Amino acid sequence: MNIQIRPILTALRRHKAGTLLIALQIALTLAIVCNALFIIHQRLTNLSVTSGVDEANVFVIANMWGDVGQSTAQVDAQVRADLLALRQLPAALDATPASGYPLRGGGWDNFVTMTPDQTKPTTDAAVYTGDEHFIGTLGLRLVAGRNFHPDEVMVMGTQQAITPSTAIVSKALADRLFPDGNALGKSFYAMGTTPSTIVGIVDPLHRQGVDQWSNGYAGQALIWPLRADDSRGIYYIVRAKPGQLADAMREAPKALYAQSRLRIIDPKDGIQDYATIRHKVYDRDRGLAILMGIISVVLLAITAAGIVGLTSFWVGQRRKQIGVRRALGARQRDILAYFLTENFLISATGVVLGAVLAIAFNLWTVTRFEMDRMSMAYVGAGVLVLLLLGQGATFAPALRASRVSPVEATRSV
Amino acid sequence: MLKMTHLSKVYRTEVVETYALRDFNIDVKEGEFVAVTGPSGSGKTTFLTIAGLLETFSGGEYHLDGIEVSNLNDNARSKIRNEKIGFIFQAFNLIPDLNVFDNIEVPLRYRGMKAAERKQRIMDSLERVGLASRAKHYPAELSGGQQQRVAIARALAGSPRLLLADEPTGNLDTQMARGVLELLEDIHREGATIVMVTHDPELAARAQRNVHIIDGQVVDLSEDPRFHAAHAAVADEAHG
Amino acid sequence: MLAYYFQLGLRSLRRNPALTALMVMAIGFGVAASMITYSVFRAVSGNPIPGKSAQLFTPQIDSWGPQQNLKGEPAEALGYIDAMALMRAHEAKRQTLLYPVQLSVMPGGNRDLPLNANGYAVTADFFTMFEVPFRYGSGWGAQDDDTRASDVVISSELNQKLFAGANSVGRALNLGGHDYRVVGVASHWNPRPRFYDLFTTSGFADEPDIYMVFNRALDLQMRTGGRNSCRGSLAYTTWQGYLQSNCVWITPWVELDSPAEVASYRSFLTHYAADQRLAGRFDWAANVRLRDVMQWLDYEHVVPPESRISLAVALGFFLICLVNTIGLLLAKFMRRAGEIGVRRALGATRGEIYTQYLVEAATVGLAGGVLGLLLTATGVSGVGILFQPEIAKLAQLDFSLVGLTFVVAIVATVLAAFYPAWRAAHVQPAWQLKSS
Ligand SMILES: Nc1ncnc2c1ncn2[C@@H]1O[C@H](COP(=O)(O)OP(=O)(O)O)[C@@H](O)[C@H]1O
Ligand SMILES: [Mg+2]
Repeated sequence: MNIQIRPILTALRRHKAGTLLIALQIALTLAIVCNALFIIHQRLTNLSVTSGVDEANVFVIANMWGDVGQSTAQVDAQVRADLLALRQLPAALDATPASGYPLRGGGWDNFVTMTPDQTKPTTDAAVYTGDEHFIGTLGLRLVAGRNFHPDEVMVMGTQQAITPSTAIVSKALADRLFPDGNALGKSFYAMGTTPSTIVGIVDPLHRQGVDQWSNGYAGQALIWPLRADDSRGIYYIVRAKPGQLADAMREAPKALYAQSRLRIIDPKDGIQDYATIRHKVYDRDRGLAILMGIISVVLLAITAAGIVGLTSFWVGQRRKQIGVRRALGARQRDILAYFLTENFLISATGVVLGAVLAIAFNLWTVTRFEMDRMSMAYVGAGVLVLLLLGQGATFAPALRASRVSPVEATRSV
Repeated sequence: MLKMTHLSKVYRTEVVETYALRDFNIDVKEGEFVAVTGPSGSGKTTFLTIAGLLETFSGGEYHLDGIEVSNLNDNARSKIRNEKIGFIFQAFNLIPDLNVFDNIEVPLRYRGMKAAERKQRIMDSLERVGLASRAKHYPAELSGGQQQRVAIARALAGSPRLLLADEPTGNLDTQMARGVLELLEDIHREGATIVMVTHDPELAARAQRNVHIIDGQVVDLSEDPRFHAAHAAVADEAHG
Repeated sequence: MLAYYFQLGLRSLRRNPALTALMVMAIGFGVAASMITYSVFRAVSGNPIPGKSAQLFTPQIDSWGPQQNLKGEPAEALGYIDAMALMRAHEAKRQTLLYPVQLSVMPGGNRDLPLNANGYAVTADFFTMFEVPFRYGSGWGAQDDDTRASDVVISSELNQKLFAGANSVGRALNLGGHDYRVVGVASHWNPRPRFYDLFTTSGFADEPDIYMVFNRALDLQMRTGGRNSCRGSLAYTTWQGYLQSNCVWITPWVELDSPAEVASYRSFLTHYAADQRLAGRFDWAANVRLRDVMQWLDYEHVVPPESRISLAVALGFFLICLVNTIGLLLAKFMRRAGEIGVRRALGATRGEIYTQYLVEAATVGLAGGVLGLLLTATGVSGVGILFQPEIAKLAQLDFSLVGLTFVVAIVATVLAAFYPAWRAAHVQPAWQLKSS
């Protein structure tokens, strides 16, 4: 099989516009598809980050108080009673009060410093509050130190900023504050005048938010032994016995209303299991990934169809020419090779231009939306996909061309 | 009707310049039936395309119906083609997507004629060529001779004063060719000027006047030594 | 003549159904992707208060200093001290302070459970500044701010729930254990984005149920139901301690009608900050901002990056679909060079050929528009899987979107056809004769 490039180039010069359009289409498709793949991969990575929570069995109740004028002592009494009731549910394993929970979609965050008068913070941590049941209820893995003692747990009223003297931190935070790995027993300041000493380390523990800005603080969280008895409301996190999540979610509000009816648990989203919580918090990521996926697939299909269409037309236009070549001794595979080579030359031009466009588009999103730089692997993969797509799309019309009978040469028009 | 003086036509490509016509002189009077003959590549078609304002020329003058056409813009030329000239091509050149009726309608549409008048003219010209019953047929459903008659009907529908035909019988057998020629003669009798390129000496002989083109120039047959040879050959053929 | 071209166009499109389908699909998908993402983008990037967006300003004062502020920018809200100082100075024609409050309507009548009621603590000018429409009654007056009245304005929706939609002005209401009096019922009012509270919301929250007197909320020591942002060490244990802390949680707005008023208010802010330095409260140079509504939306990045990226990618997608269409139209038109030559020989002018092919393209565009509209309608209703629910429900297929879909499909296709049609119109009329 002898493939001659020069005659192909000469022929292409007579179809300048068509050639240019296919190359342009391939270039733009490459630019969009590379970036779309990159975005999809990035967002799917976000989706699969572990929270540290025993997500299969845990659910959260957002409980608001009907009477917002209660004193802290009144609220605390009610919270204790509620927790007792929740822990006694046949389907429940454990329960904890909380002011927020992992993947909530934002919440309490404190700067962390090593000294009380340090103005530039060392880092930032998500703040969780709970009692000695917090770790057990969420199913967090304690990798060092100990859990809170019941008598360590303090009460924090609505108007109070209280800094407990002990804290359990996530391994990510411990490592950030004490890179030498001996965080246990050390202390830090989290916007308080007094320090908190690290008594335990859990791993992993996701933050409350999944926002772009917090990526630099991924997995950094601290837990304070506090019952946040806010007069407006509180979260109860409940862990069901394995396989009894649905039962527990049904029993829990009944038990709470039996304690007191002066509370609001939104019938729509007052009680959420972790599947729902995770689904909601990653709405944006999943949505964008789906949209990019749809666009990529349709785009590749349209580009392929466009190549098939144009190549078919060229073949149709050159039937007589092909017939003459065949009459002069060209074999079927010579004709096939001719068209495949032709497409390869066009596609190659397209992907070179496309690679430049893809990188330019990525840089634009980097500066405009603070997105990450795309790795060259995406461009490489995209180039490969489009070259294969081009060859695949050309194959059918080229095959048809190769089957043109030499008789065509003798027919007029 | 049609007068060219010292007209020339040069085709320039990247490599060569071809003089398709040079110092070309011809004068066709109103109502004449002229047959144009000449060897292949001598410039017959080029002459016809220039005469029909399908192409521009490189030098000289061309008066069509008393108008010097070299200064006309594309739109004016289109209008003249549409109203004064009818074309008949060797390859018929019917539009395959359109049926017979719609094909004949094309020049009338561009003239902006009312639907009723269009219909009248189309049916009249189809009547002329004896294909009134085939108005709804598509070109592919007709024989070569019928297709050429449709093409003639299309050329006639606009009542052109000048009919240009490029080897109208080239793709037809003798029987059909004769029919087409008779049609042209009829049209000529009704007053149209006809210029017909042909290879067929028999057909050429039936025209009022013969013009012979060699190497892009009109030659006087009586002075050209090649004429005698060609003429002898024609005579042989006619007898054989 | 256009009808003739349209007829010819249809005929030609029918001749290559696969090719026609391909072009129609390319246009349809391209236009639909663009329209779906645009409908979302339009909703999130619109001007929420077109008549007044240039007169409403939110003042910012840097109370955190260069070490702790937002990379040089002042905090996005005010603390109690600065908020009250602005209010007392009364330097603008109208001004308001606001923060979100989370309340509950206590059981009563045939309701035995409390009802959630979220809203804002605001001052009297809130209603006039933001042109809140009323179904019944009105907002309260400035004197009610001063007397710290227990007045509330409720939404029509809450009015429906509590009073079955009747005129409830003057009726009493128990919120979280305290009695209030309804002075007004607002008609549906939920500007999107919610420019006036971008400190807490991302701009697309549900309509508030209730508006109460700012001073009354302070008296009841109501903590903000929204965001609270602090710096340094915190050790407050009382309401007074909280108010005196550096925490920011109040959004101020002022109405300024002329550039002169804006300039004078800006200089007031600067002087205020400078005075705070003199008084020893700040130890940094005055650092203030005065942004109007659109500047504020922009600064707060109200348009989610996902929306911009989607729109950009969708437009890129549409562009590719158009390039695809140009290629296919070119092939299609040039394949009919023979027919074009004949038409030219029979007297068609270039313009007529040009028009014929543009009309053919417009026909493709029209079909693409119809497909695009169907896809857009499906997409807009299914956009919930692509964007967060609160944003997704903003995307609506209204009359203008339908019109835009068609116009964009047709105009884009005709634009795409310019070059192929130009090539078609320049086919030499002599081509036919020479080629045989
Ligand atoms: N478009 C063109 N470009 C270049 N040369 C041409 C073109 N058309 C015709 N010619 C040349 O002009 C000469 C006359 O051609 P033509 O008029 O077609 O001859 P005929 O019709 O007598 O066979 C030939 O040498 C041909 O090669
Ligand atoms: Mg010829």
